[in-house]
Amino acid sequence: MAAKTKKKIQPKFKQITVMVFISLFQLLSAACVLYRGEEMSVVLTLIFMGYMVLEWLYMMIGIIATGTDYFELEAMAFFLCGIGITLCASYGESYALKQIVAVLMGLAVYLVMQAVLKNIDFCQKIRLPVAVLSILILIANLILAGTTNGTLNWIDLGFFSIQPSEIVKIAFVFVGAVTLEYLISNTSLTRYIIFSVACIGLLFLMQDFGTALIFFFTFILIAFMRSGDVRTIALICTAALLGAVLIIYFKPYVASRFQAYGRVWDYADTSGYQQVRTLVYMASGGLLGLGIGEGRLRNVYASSTDLVFGVVCEEMGLIVGLCVLICFVGFALFAVITVRQSGSSFYAIAATAAAGMLLFQLSLNIFGITDILPLTGVTLPFVSRGGSSMICSWGLLAYIRAAGVMFRPPEAIASIPVSRPVRKAPAGRMPNGDIPVAKRQGR
Amino acid sequence: MRDTLKRTTALIVLVALFTAGVVYLLFSLAVHGSDWASNRINQHLYSNGTTTNSGAIYDRNGALLVSSEDGKRVYNSSRKVRVSTLHTVGDTSGFISTGTQSLYRKLLSGYNVLEGVYGIINRPAETSSVTLNIDSEACCVAYDAFGDYNGTIVVYNYKNGELVCSISKPSYDVNDVPSNLLTSKYYDGVFLDKAVSGVYTPGSVIKIITAISALQNIPGIESQTFDCDGEYEIGSGAVICNSVHYEETFEEAFNKSCNFAFADITLQLGASKLLETANSLGFNKQLYAGEVALKKSTFSPSDSDKLELGWAGIGQSTTLLNPSHLLSIVGAIANGGTGYAPNRIHSYSTFYGQYSPAANQLITLDGGIAAKMRALMRSNVVNKYGDDNFPNLEFCAKTGTAQLDDADSHSWLAGFSSRSDLPLAVVCIVENGGWGSGPATEVTNEVMQYFLDVYTNS
Repeated sequence: MAAKTKKKIQPKFKQITVMVFISLFQLLSAACVLYRGEEMSVVLTLIFMGYMVLEWLYMMIGIIATGTDYFELEAMAFFLCGIGITLCASYGESYALKQIVAVLMGLAVYLVMQAVLKNIDFCQKIRLPVAVLSILILIANLILAGTTNGTLNWIDLGFFSIQPSEIVKIAFVFVGAVTLEYLISNTSLTRYIIFSVACIGLLFLMQDFGTALIFFFTFILIAFMRSGDVRTIALICTAALLGAVLIIYFKPYVASRFQAYGRVWDYADTSGYQQVRTLVYMASGGLLGLGIGEGRLRNVYASSTDLVFGVVCEEMGLIVGLCVLICFVGFALFAVITVRQSGSSFYAIAATAAAGMLLFQLSLNIFGITDILPLTGVTLPFVSRGGSSMICSWGLLAYIRAAGVMFRPPEAIASIPVSRPVRKAPAGRMPNGDIPVAKRQGR
Repeated sequence: MRDTLKRTTALIVLVALFTAGVVYLLFSLAVHGSDWASNRINQHLYSNGTTTNSGAIYDRNGALLVSSEDGKRVYNSSRKVRVSTLHTVGDTSGFISTGTQSLYRKLLSGYNVLEGVYGIINRPAETSSVTLNIDSEACCVAYDAFGDYNGTIVVYNYKNGELVCSISKPSYDVNDVPSNLLTSKYYDGVFLDKAVSGVYTPGSVIKIITAISALQNIPGIESQTFDCDGEYEIGSGAVICNSVHYEETFEEAFNKSCNFAFADITLQLGASKLLETANSLGFNKQLYAGEVALKKSTFSPSDSDKLELGWAGIGQSTTLLNPSHLLSIVGAIANGGTGYAPNRIHSYSTFYGQYSPAANQLITLDGGIAAKMRALMRSNVVNKYGDDNFPNLEFCAKTGTAQLDDADSHSWLAGFSSRSDLPLAVVCIVENGGWGSGPATEVTNEVMQYFLDVYTNS
């Protein structure tokens, strides 16, 4: 018992240390931005200070409220958001201001989502409205959207423009996980398939192929999590591939969007413009980077959104770039470990789908801009500038966090998972004196 | 439920695939990083395609030829140095593709895995530099020696391949680019370094090749005599000689550059033997002097037209010869059969350390044949051109005149000093220098006298 108590103290100490390191990194990069100009910007100083206060407040309140300090997910997300804010600040005050508001909104969504996810019954009730609302949002998007960079995925609200497909991503995981958790009849599965096809179809109509692909991948992942049937998955993929071939055959403009893939240097001034420059400037940064604001990739279109990984590598160095990637691998591994200890397949499916979605989107982003995959124009979660993307990223993170909460399955009705999470397991024993069934290991 | 948990393996597979992608990206960066970083679209190093940040280039004596300061290329302060070394150093815009700035731009970009291009932006000269074997002062001497003529001269140490002097005229000042550079006929082909990218009709210097082939293939050629009556009749036509030489030996025919005798020798050899020799000496083949691609020398004698074959043997047919290639052949004769390529680079200095590339060997000649050719070329100077024209050089040479249809002939000289303390070989072409070897002889001697002074007084 004594040994277990000791184990519980150790990570607390480590967690604070990690935060101290993240803060040091953020102070250093903030200093780089602030001391670049002739005059130090008061607004930017306040934004940086405010962000760091926010991080520490969240951690401290979290530790006090839950009695634990298992905040590695949040720490990684804060690290990523910090890089995003720093880069936004180096572009200008208005970008930084919008970005910190986006982080605040993301964090709010994150907390609300966690509260919602605690109550599976409630989730079950709102499943249908969420699905219907998602479809309606996408239809509205298709009708209202103005064309931006060839895709129709933005709605301009005048003061603010939103990307509805980002918000629908959260709903897509939600609907999928809830439906399949309560999969009783074939009807509910059919409904889910109809919902998925509708979402992906609408995204295709918006010509947002990147997001459509992310949805499709998530659909496959959720389907596999539920069925485990590799043959069915293979069948779906083959059907999708056939569909893709047909689309390319009948709508050649779709293929022309990807003509530069694999030979971007031949299209260096046209459709390979962004990829070629990303490669050139990523290499230019070396391992250590040229300094924040000293890069040239920032002058290329969409540098603060789609190409942000290239900017990170050029200005902060490949080492920081790799740290960004490691954070996402961390999310995925965190999901794997916690899902294996969670007591409900709802949380298991949701966390896996969310982590998979994040990692898949990251892959489309960084491999797209470096010509390893076709360029689809998706953002880098948490880091890219933009409110919708930020909200979506935090929303997805909430699913992973929810699975990380320990559950105590009721002995009587074992088939229905319990909805009450127990955050704290004092001295390895439940309040009623039982030894918890699913104990977090390594803590 | 248990199955669902097992299926999280899908996520592990995804992580594995992602990691593989990242490893591939890192591998690509490691392999192609320097190519990508030194691409002309990189605005850290180029602005609208012109070089801004790049490493420094020095001559063999440490004179700074070009470096970067505050994002600008700064050249040597002397106009004459800038003009005479232009083609070797290269221009800021990269028009001179064989210039060191262009050819070694990857190296001069200073790119390294650790700091990318940070070093070259902030401390260019320390981050990357190239020291050339060129003596910029010698280039100035050579440039002056050409006077109003255009052409090229290349001088190298045949013992180790060090290219000590190379100029190409016309040239221009990079700091004061003439407004009519692209329009004036005078500047036609000004971006070509004639020493490496030029080819000329060889004229009588091709007799070096014909003589080598004769020594290789015709037993007793040295004791043969020829009776030149000024015209060597072949079928319905004739190869005209520059004079009537009467009875002469092989050596005398070489001294006098007798077309009659060499047309006869060519026909004795036949096209295939002559071609075999030419090919073994690097004709009709892409040759490289280090990283510098030499314009291909072409030689295609044919048996089908004997008259044309006769002209080919004296260098007035479709044959084309590259000056740096000929320098390597002359170098092989001077150096006992081992002919190095002219090596422009003395050393590179980069983030990874200093490196001195050795010259590559281009030509291999039998030692005995080389010695005979050396004696024949020495005999040319002693018996024909006169040691007075090359004082104290113990010079060996073969001159030539490339006749042009509509302009004055080009004047050629290929030779070397046989002094052990002056192991230099030279090839010089004075364009439109007129009949005879006079202009090329004068330019060569002036440059060689400069080197005699440097080599014997140091």
